Amino acid sequence: MQKILVWDWPVRLGHWLMVGGFCLAWLTAESETFRLVHVISGAIVLGVATFRLPWGFIGSRYARFAEFVRGPTAVKDYLSSILKLEPAHHVGHNPAGSWAIVILLGLGILTSLAGWAMYNDIGGDLFEELHEGLATSMLIVVLIHLAGVFSGSLLHGENLVRAMLTGFKKGLPEEAIASARPIAAILLLAWVAAAGWFIAN
Amino acid sequence: MKTLATLSLMLISIAAHAETPQQIRQIYATEAAAQQTGFSPSAKRGETLFRQRFALNDKMPACTSCHTDSPLNAGQHSVTGKSVKALAVAANAERFADPAKVEKWFGRNCKEVVGRACTPAEKADFVAYMSEVR
Repeated sequence: MQKILVWDWPVRLGHWLMVGGFCLAWLTAESETFRLVHVISGAIVLGVATFRLPWGFIGSRYARFAEFVRGPTAVKDYLSSILKLEPAHHVGHNPAGSWAIVILLGLGILTSLAGWAMYNDIGGDLFEELHEGLATSMLIVVLIHLAGVFSGSLLHGENLVRAMLTGFKKGLPEEAIASARPIAAILLLAWVAAAGWFIAN
Repeated sequence: MKTLATLSLMLISIAAHAETPQQIRQIYATEAAAQQTGFSPSAKRGETLFRQRFALNDKMPACTSCHTDSPLNAGQHSVTGKSVKALAVAANAERFADPAKVEKWFGRNCKEVVGRACTPAEKADFVAYMSEVR
């Protein structure tokens, strides 16, 4: 086993943009002074999530949904392997992480769309309640995801946070992705900027 | 007493969505009377609060920064420019009808404009003004 490139640029950049957008949105949720910042941070979440959907089909190997989306049995097996302190190592996303991704993408899209509707006076009280409820569920999934990342990092002896920054994880040389796809990351930035600009206007 | 008032607000919001502004004012007035004997809501004091310049926040120094000088008018958000529905019950029957919503917006806006939580007395006065202004 050696360090190989696993996460491409759009996956990593998208992940951390999502983190930034989500945190900023929580910090500004109660404020009218920072209402525009809140709206733009929601737009960042929406931009990243909507980019990630097609990227899950055309992205590099470990970015593809087909590579990491697994049924509940796989999650159960993985979680029980963790409880036995003998975690099954996955080069790409582990089955629990894959559920976090799918759920957070879904919640990210729904929460920001509900917020966007509110911002444009569509949907009234119902969307207001929906927006808050979805955002809270998203926070809960984020916290579970964090718990999973930290316990997984400890058990695998592999810093998964650093891996999401550098793109490198433990694996066999033939399992590495060939390119980090930097140009797609520029497209992602442009898409997110466009979403922010469009939604805030 | 505060717990009781909060609890009754919660129960009301769970049991029924539509309350009258009078009922909401009464909840705050009861809470205020527990702290200050002989308290009675005053629309006049509510108006003073509405017009007071707290000047803590450049973008929104007073309630009127977004809600305009008349609560009967639709307002405009001083940051986003989005329209804000009229506050006065006479102009907008949906106002002060949902206790949880009233509590949420007092919570947010008092903190940001007044710089602290509003007291039950201030809330009772404010609801009185918004219900009575024509």
